[in-house]
Amino acid sequence: MSEPATDVCLGVRGLTKQIGGFYPLRDLDMDVARGHIHAMIGPNGAGKTTFFNLLSGVLAADSGQITFEGRALDDQRPSKRTLKGIARTFQNIRLFRHMTVLENVMIGQHCRSYVSIWKALRDAAFHRPFGEVREEREMRAHAMELLEFLGLADKRGARASDLPYGEQRKLELARALATQPRLLLLDEPAAGMNPHETEELDDVITRIRERGVTIVLVEHDMNLVMNISDRVTVLNFGTKIADGLPKEIQGDPTVIEAYLGQDVSL
Amino acid sequence: MLDHLFDGYTRSILIFTGIHIIAAYSFYLPFKTGQVSLGQAGFLAVGAYAAGIMTQKFGLPFPVALLIGGLVTGVVGVGVGFPALRIKGIYLLLLTLAFAEIVRGVIMTWEYTGGAGGFQRIPYNAYTLDYVYGLVVALIIFFARLERSSLGRAMDSIHEDETAAEVMGVDVVGVKLLAFGLGAFIAGLAGALFAHHTTYVDSVTFNILVGVNILMFVVVGGSSTYWGPVLGAAFLTLLPEFLRMLREWLELVPASWVDSLLMNRIYNFVHEFLDFENEKRLIVYGIILVVMMILRPDGILTRDNLRRFRFVGRRVGHV
Repeated sequence: MSEPATDVCLGVRGLTKQIGGFYPLRDLDMDVARGHIHAMIGPNGAGKTTFFNLLSGVLAADSGQITFEGRALDDQRPSKRTLKGIARTFQNIRLFRHMTVLENVMIGQHCRSYVSIWKALRDAAFHRPFGEVREEREMRAHAMELLEFLGLADKRGARASDLPYGEQRKLELARALATQPRLLLLDEPAAGMNPHETEELDDVITRIRERGVTIVLVEHDMNLVMNISDRVTVLNFGTKIADGLPKEIQGDPTVIEAYLGQDVSL
Repeated sequence: MLDHLFDGYTRSILIFTGIHIIAAYSFYLPFKTGQVSLGQAGFLAVGAYAAGIMTQKFGLPFPVALLIGGLVTGVVGVGVGFPALRIKGIYLLLLTLAFAEIVRGVIMTWEYTGGAGGFQRIPYNAYTLDYVYGLVVALIIFFARLERSSLGRAMDSIHEDETAAEVMGVDVVGVKLLAFGLGAFIAGLAGALFAHHTTYVDSVTFNILVGVNILMFVVVGGSSTYWGPVLGAAFLTLLPEFLRMLREWLELVPASWVDSLLMNRIYNFVHEFLDFENEKRLIVYGIILVVMMILRPDGILTRDNLRRFRFVGRRVGHV
């Protein structure tokens, strides 16, 4: 494992998660370069979502180390990691269903506008009786920008749960972007999207990268992965079986074996 | 100030209604972050005793004692809030219930404040009505603003999906503790006001049913909007009075109308039933609650109802 340590955004060393005698993730090493779109692929149950949960702090790792922008990320609650600049979406959509589209995005901004809970309380309790605090106005303007970026601006007042599936995925993306991340973890963003929407998503992800956000992408849609990724890591049964450029991965016999079984010629 | 406007009976009912509204708000705030507490009676008790000790034992003026009562209860609330962070649903109900019982146990055995004999001769506060409704108005304004603020939104998000809120950067631990502690603070104020109105409190005053009642105020009134606790507390507090009024009207029915044996029986039954001194009103309470839960499980008022009146229910993004 000797990556050229040029500009590493995310570094993972020996990351392991154990549940009883089962290892959803075992001894994973990988580096994600700044500004890259780094895809993680692998059959179901390969440990991709576990990996995301460990990165975002939803689960605690049993051993191993994660460094983000050169600093260790150990033992931090998810909200602290979000403040550091790591955002994610969920594979099984977890929007705030009863809130409006705009409100969902504004939740993502809360941690930037109100790092201190006392300031949040003060603004809630003591600002002018009618009218808004400056923070609220800024949050709304920024949220609207993000909704426009993802083509959801005219749905701002709709309840999140009333959106069609593909748009809910986009809203998850907008909400994650609202936390102003430098590393974005996308867990199957194209699941449930039609081919047209997937094409749009392709474009959106590329534009997010252009904003200077590094992206780790878990996805089953191989077209999308091969189109936009700079690098691909392949997991199977919790261990890394391949790592390389998309082209290299496509021809890798171990990868083909993991997906299709042995003795299959393509 | 407001005192002279009402006779003693009305005043007393208004005071209890107001205190119930405050208590309902003390439940509503932690509930906004998804924390259901059956132990608000415990916080009322802490506030009542803390403030009572300040006025009766130390001779402090009431406003100071009120504030101290609230603050002490708030600190206790944060203490209870820590273990409450990790558990949810029915387990949290049990934890808060157990807390209320602990408080009752302490009250019963603490000789300093009269033990099982109750805390007696708490100085009477002649301005309770003003204090109570001043506080009610302040709370309504506070909750109206909270609902339209970023903090209020963060609380709602925790209620909906705690993990997602945490991943989106909301300081779930901080917000939940704040909500629980502030809720306790409000309950402490209600307890202090109550004690200085009745001038006597004991462990029975703050029994389990009080906590259940407070929960009922919010559930019946509607837990998705800050008008719910006001409406629920007012409705359920005034209901027995209304039933009593019905009974008085019933007595105006001429005897000739209930001449027959059957009519007489019905009359007597209803008359008995509406007697608010006996425990039968609990049956009425119960029936109302059951019907409510079937017809309007979200309470009388919901956020969506209020949205029609834009100035009250307006939420971000609604056009």
